[in-house]
Formats: sequence, C-alpha cells, structure tokens
Amino acid sequence: MNLSRVLLGISIVALLAGCSKSASEPESQPAPLPPGHGVAQDTTPKEGPRLITAESYIRTYLTLFGGLSPMQAQLEARGSDGSKLFDTWRDYLGTMGMPDYRYDTPRVSQTNTLMVATFERAGVALCDRALEHDRAVKPRLIYDFDMPAKLDAAAFAPRFDVVHRTFLNYPAQLAPTDRTNRFWKLYQDTAAAHAKVTGSRFSPAEAGWAAVCYGLIRHPEFHLY
Amino acid sequence: MMTSSRRSFLKAFLAGAGFSTMAGAPLFRAVAAEPAKSDEFFLLIHALGGWDVTLSLDPRWEEKGLIDPASTLNTTFGTIRKWQNDAAKLSDGGYSFQVIRPNGTPFTFGPAIGNLTDHASRICVVNGLATNTVSHPDGQTFAVTGRHLNGGRPNQSSIDVCCANEFGTEQLLPVVSVQYPSYLLGAQMDARARPLRIATIGTMAQSLARATLYDTQAERNAVNAVLTEEANDLAAISNDPSALQGFGSQYGALQNLLTNTNLQNVFSESALVAAHPELNISTLRYQRAAAVNAAFALEAFRNNLARCVSFIFNGFDTHAGNYTNQAATQQETFDTLAVLLAQLDQIPHPTRTGHKLSEHTHILVTSDFCRTPQINLQRGRDHYPNGSALIISPKFKGKTLYGKTDPLQLLPANAGTFLDGPRPVAPPDLLATFVSAFGVDPQKYFREGEVIKELLA
Repeated sequence: MNLSRVLLGISIVALLAGCSKSASEPESQPAPLPPGHGVAQDTTPKEGPRLITAESYIRTYLTLFGGLSPMQAQLEARGSDGSKLFDTWRDYLGTMGMPDYRYDTPRVSQTNTLMVATFERAGVALCDRALEHDRAVKPRLIYDFDMPAKLDAAAFAPRFDVVHRTFLNYPAQLAPTDRTNRFWKLYQDTAAAHAKVTGSRFSPAEAGWAAVCYGLIRHPEFHLY
Repeated sequence: MMTSSRRSFLKAFLAGAGFSTMAGAPLFRAVAAEPAKSDEFFLLIHALGGWDVTLSLDPRWEEKGLIDPASTLNTTFGTIRKWQNDAAKLSDGGYSFQVIRPNGTPFTFGPAIGNLTDHASRICVVNGLATNTVSHPDGQTFAVTGRHLNGGRPNQSSIDVCCANEFGTEQLLPVVSVQYPSYLLGAQMDARARPLRIATIGTMAQSLARATLYDTQAERNAVNAVLTEEANDLAAISNDPSALQGFGSQYGALQNLLTNTNLQNVFSESALVAAHPELNISTLRYQRAAAVNAAFALEAFRNNLARCVSFIFNGFDTHAGNYTNQAATQQETFDTLAVLLAQLDQIPHPTRTGHKLSEHTHILVTSDFCRTPQINLQRGRDHYPNGSALIISPKFKGKTLYGKTDPLQLLPANAGTFLDGPRPVAPPDLLATFVSAFGVDPQKYFREGEVIKELLA
C-alpha cells in the first residue's frame, strides 16, 4: 500500500469522526405527518412488468442448457442432421431486438410478434436438443426425471415441478394460475396427438415433455420482470 | 405472382387480436376487419451514403469552376447504357457524356439515370437541397426527419413513420422498414406506427420457419393456446395487465402467422425473386437486396399488408474509385425504380376496384447529401452539402424540376422566396410538402419546413 492511500484512509476516518453526533446534542424528532397522510412513502405500483433485454434471454438460455457459449449453443441447436431446427444467432439478431452491425441497424426498442416468433424458434430448438441430450447423457440438463410412457396426474406433478422451478424459479404449487393442471392437459393432449404422427424423432411421452418445455421457456413470467 | 388475398391475411391475424408490444405499447393494433382509413400506400427510399448527382439528377459534363466532370478516362462507362461521348474534349484528353433531355420535360439528366427516363413525365425532381451537413448519420436523419441530430440522437419521427401514423395505424403492418433510418418520436405519435425495422426481408422468413422432425404445428398451437390462457389469467390479477394482455394477443397472432403460408411467402426472398422476374434480381450486381425489397413492397401493397414500406439503396459512399461503380450503382437504382413504377401500373389496387396501385402509391427518394464536384486523389468524390430528391406520386406534378445549384460549385442556390426570404430548398420543406399533399398539417410532425405549392398537383 503506498503512502497516498494510507493518508487518504486516515483522512476519511477523520472526516467520519468529525461528522459523528456528539453525545450532548439534543435528539430531534421528525415532524408529524400532515392529516390524511398515513405513510410517508408512496408504495403504489408505478410501472407494469417489463421485458428483459434480448441479451438476458440468450444468456439465460445458454445457462439453462448447459452453460454453453453462444457458438456452442448454435452448433448444438443447429446440429448436422438437416433438421432445420435452428439457423445462426446472426440470422436472428435483428428480430430478437439486438443491434446488427452487419447492416448498421440499431437495437429495437420495442417488441413485436416477429420477436415472439424468433424466441419460439430458439426455444423450441433448445428444448428439442436438450431432450435428445437428456435421454442419452447424465447429468440431465432440463428433464431431470424419467419419462415413462404411461403417466398419471400424480406422477406428472413432481416432474412438472422440476422444470417449472428450472424455468420460472419457484414451485409450481405457488403459481397464481391453475398451472399444473393446465400443463398436465397439454402434456396429455400432445402425447395423444403425437402417437398418431409418423416419422417423428420423439416418442409420444417425449413430445409431451417437449411441449411443456416450450410452454415454460416462452411463458410470460419467463419474459417479464 | 403471389395471389394471397387480403381476406386471408385478415383471417390469419384475427384470432390473435393483432400485434402489440410485450411492454404494453402496441406495435400493431388489435386486428380489425374494417378497411384501413386510407387507401394510399407509401414507399420511402433512401440512397444510403450520398449519391453523386453529377451523373444523373443534376449532371455536370463541362469543366466549370470547381467541377471535374466524369470523363471517358476517369469513369467505367462501358456498362452505362445511355453514355454517349460529348463532342468537346476535356483537359485530360477524355470526353464527358452527352446529357439526356426527355421531350416535353424541363429535365437534364446524366447517363446514370438509366430507364427512369421512360417515366420522366411523372417524376418531380428537387435539386439544390441544402443538406447543411457532410456527416452520414446527420445527413440521413436530416433527409428523412427534417431535423439534424441532437447529441447524436434524432429529434423527430421519420417520414415513413409520419405517414404510417397518419394513414396506417389500422393496417396490419403500418410500416416495414428495411434498414431505412426510421424513428418514432414524439407524444403525438401513435405507438402502432412504430416501424418494424429489419435488416433484410429474408430475416422474417427465417424467424417464421419451423422444423417438422420433432413436433407438429398443431402441437405448437396447443402450447400457444395454453400460454394465451396463462397470460390472460395473469393479466386478470395484475395491477398493470397491459403487458400480459399484449402477450396473450401475440401468442394468438403468432399461431395464425405461422399457419399462413401465403404470408410467409411475402417474406421469403426466394419467393419474391421468383414472383418478380421483371426485376432481374439475380443479374443485379449492386442493388440486389434493394430489388428484393422493391419486390416485397409490390407484394405488401398488392395484398394490402403494409401501409408504408421503406428501404435503402446502398453503395453510394464512393470516396475512392468513384467512377468504377458509382455510375453503375445509380443505373441499377434507377432501373429498379423504373421497373417498380411499371409494375405499380400493372397491379390492381387491393381495395379500389378498377384502380391500379400506381394511382395510390407515393414514392419519395432521398439521399444523405451528394458528392464533391472535384475528384480527389483516390479518384473518388467526398461528401458535399448539397442534395437531390425524387418524388413520384399522383399528388405531385410530373415533369417538374424545383431548386437548383450553382453551376460553378454545385452548392445549393436560392430556389425561391420563402417566408424567411430567398433561400435554397431544404429537406424540411420537402418533407412538409410531402405530407401536406395528403391533407396533413406539416407542423404536426415537423418543426421547420414550408410547403412548396408549385410541386403539388
């Protein structure tokens, strides 16, 4: 530590000591609030929920799906299997609302349905790739449970709670909507519909859980703060 | 030719109740089946980088004052179809070009004007615009907003957004802006007129593409339905439900957007290229992207999808090798405009029976500024505080030339007597005149600018 820093520290301590109240100084009481003013602080909400920035979404995606770098995530999501699940981050810069220096376009300050479409595309790609990962590799990233072909509501709830906590950060039981039952129906309907689909890479149960993932990663509570 | 109907677009968006921003300020209004309050379409085009008007709109072919004209020795003129050598030899031993004077018009054009001469009877040219800047961002902003930048920020809304605010808020897409310097500013503006700014038309197609190997559209629709219910339920218990209501609308709109293949075709570059062979997009060297945007504008208007489309022609900032590609870049620009006009003459108006699009489409072409009369050491031209603009609109007189430049210096000369006395015409005058042609009080949008009545039909 050099001398100037020592002197600066001593000066600050001396200054603080000088500002401290002396023991003999009389206590002053705050003036009472005027009639009709019960609290001094206005705590009524001033602003509604806001959308977090596109960079925050992407960072959150990358963290949730294994702490990947953007390029790794792009490689994983795009794959080499011709599935057309994903293009490149570059392709989505403008539609996600970020500035695109290739075209000298600035940040998009307000959102639109095209942006929601882009987040669906990215979210679906990551959910699908995560499911492919989790059924083959442990530790699992998102679907940290088994996926039996037959499932009832009682067995669905704890599994749903796992992904709900992952994406929305609190237990599903505390959700202000009838969320568990709503997603249980989504799971059932998707699995039943998918049983009739030919050529899919997902089993009916996997398609059901993928749909749950799509729903949570695009949930309003995920987008807003 | 794309044949998706307006009804199909409306149907596609109806259930979603339109586009609105997540943060509560709606970008697109809740979709109404009622027609828009205007049947007019607006096409705002900016030649980005500052075009060299000595080759086209305000030609210079003689050595006068500061002027170094284009010559056979400093210009790649072989691809410029309308280049004919002038009779007089220049001091460098080369020859400049013969100017083009379309019959019955006051115009004198340079050879880079290309096929736009075929439409000379319907165009209005403004020369000698006092751009008062040689900075690209400032020039672009001044040209389209009528105000210079203030601390690097625009102060007024751009002309495309003003038109959308006035005539497009009921439209499915009030304004689609492809790299155009679009801004929405001011308390008088409707948030629905916020421009959908995108880098290329194709980016929209990529965002709307979906894989089919894992899930189906029906399954994704089910997810959207659940999310709509969630958003609505959360909105019902929220202090400020607007953002959540916006989410509910957008999930529904997205579902319908993704199930409408016609709509996706309008945003598909390959589909647009195929639909408009007359634009010869695959053969263009400099303005391919702009020609795709022109094709998009045609389809967006044909289907009554967008009220305003704004885009750029790029490649005019030629500080070095000006004459390698400036003339060809301009020729492609004006050729593309000529094809666009011819197409507007052919395409029926979507809501006015018996009318063509050209009867209700209004085009304004601007640039940052122009380029120096002298040629620099790198055989280029630098920035110069003078400009030209084009208006092609049934609300404006054709065969009209307004404003002029000093013949020795290419600087703006007095164009007429304004309320503040004789002075050159300036971008705010042009923008004020443009909106006034549609009965809009210019002072609603522009602090400065005087209406030039001589330009109005």
